[in-house]
Amino acid sequence: MAHSRPILTGRELSIGYHHRAVFEDVSFDVHRGEILGIVGPNGSGKTTLLRTILGLLKPLRGQVERDAGLAISYVPQRDRIDTILPVTALEVVLMGRAARAGALQRVHDADRDAGLRALALLGAEPLNRQLFRNLSGGQQQRVLLARALAADHTDLLVLDEPTAGMDAASEASTLEFLRDLNRNPGVTMLIVTHMLPIVLNLATSIMLLGSRTVLHGTVDDVLREERLSELYGVPVHLGIVAGQRTLVVGRRNAIDV
Amino acid sequence: MFEPVFMRLALIASVATGASLGIIGVYLAFRRVVFLGLVLANAATVGAAVAEVFDWSPEITSTVAAVAVALGLGLVQRPRRVSSESVMGWAYAAASSAPVLILAAVAAPDADTLHMLFGNLLAVSSSHTVGLVIVAVVIGLAHVLFSRRFLLVTFDAEAAQVAGVNARLWSLGLNLLVGVAAAAAVHEIGALLTFSLLTLPAMTALLVTASVRATFAVAVVLGALLPCLGLATSFYLDLPAGPASVALLSISVLAAAALGSSSSSG
Repeated sequence: MAHSRPILTGRELSIGYHHRAVFEDVSFDVHRGEILGIVGPNGSGKTTLLRTILGLLKPLRGQVERDAGLAISYVPQRDRIDTILPVTALEVVLMGRAARAGALQRVHDADRDAGLRALALLGAEPLNRQLFRNLSGGQQQRVLLARALAADHTDLLVLDEPTAGMDAASEASTLEFLRDLNRNPGVTMLIVTHMLPIVLNLATSIMLLGSRTVLHGTVDDVLREERLSELYGVPVHLGIVAGQRTLVVGRRNAIDV
Repeated sequence: MFEPVFMRLALIASVATGASLGIIGVYLAFRRVVFLGLVLANAATVGAAVAEVFDWSPEITSTVAAVAVALGLGLVQRPRRVSSESVMGWAYAAASSAPVLILAAVAAPDADTLHMLFGNLLAVSSSHTVGLVIVAVVIGLAHVLFSRRFLLVTFDAEAAQVAGVNARLWSLGLNLLVGVAAAAAVHEIGALLTFSLLTLPAMTALLVTASVRATFAVAVVLGALLPCLGLATSFYLDLPAGPASVALLSISVLAAAALGSSSSSG
């Protein structure tokens, strides 16, 4: 991939909590138009790395540099959201615009229209008046994604387990939607997931987190059968089904590769 | 009933206090930190006890104490091995015992001191009533102007922070309002009624409403109205005003729970 100047850079990062490093000496670049997948087994430190990249956690050493004025929208895991607030789906989406507006700014018709458009992009417009807490997990995830898209401008979309709780059809349509969003208008993405199949066909580059190690490169360079088998402790096979990269855990003849 | 001046002052004070604590209580419920209200009410009592010992202004000292604890709990990172509730429990226990120990060590509390420490709605002065109305207006204004920001950082502080909102500062601002409201109230109505007004109207409202706006509206109305009914009950039945109000607030929660369960099963 031809790369311009990176919009987000990590340099010699030591990352962790309470002076205890999970990773040391991690460096990476995120370029405009890229879809970077951050993957690894449970407990490998994906969330810690994500929080550091987002500026929510200070690195123990090194620094994360962003382009001046870089507009980041963050879509958290839906189960991190407390549903005690009796807010509707549209009110949640409008928070994406409120966060970028002044503290005293009111909600205008233009904001509502933008919120409804963002919901419509994800096929969730009919949910706009329903309470967020009454929605299914997949519907909540789509509303949180719409919240990120409702902002006037997003340079970098950061998604944490973006298809959690979705059924197969919703997952496929959401991934297709993200792919379209990357092509036009060219939104750069950073996707954190423990589901390798999600990033296999979506990401343009990968950060694979292992035990205190981070590998960063193209999907083909990083996601290799022997490496994944060793990391996950089970046989992992990669192949192509219907033109799509796919992954099988277990016996090799479970799928025709 | 409200002909005597002290009853009229008590009425105005209870409406102002109940309405402002009703607003603050909804935010505490949304943030799942209702015990912060109890902690700050007791912190204000500690301030009043210190003021008694050093002959300082009890209003200022109790406000400083409550605000300091509110900001301290917002700034200090809790140890990972204990929950936020445990930290609140520790702060409550410490703040409950401190006034008793302070006064036992250095002063012999008389009836006036006990009123000053634990509040008495029927003894509220006109100047204090004005103070409570001013606090209520400030809290009402802060809510009207900044509720979107407060709700934003309450719903998802991390996403707000990433989008450029200083979530920690807004959370501290909210804590500051809780501290001021609790300090102003505890001085006049006592820690029990202050905590009840911070907790119960919001709880009732959450049980019977399905929107943020309605939750605030119901909490404010109940917070303002039920202590007035408590005053009337105490007047006609010769009962203490504070506990009568707390009893009515508690009954409102039970009624709302019954209403909620009947509507959900119907």
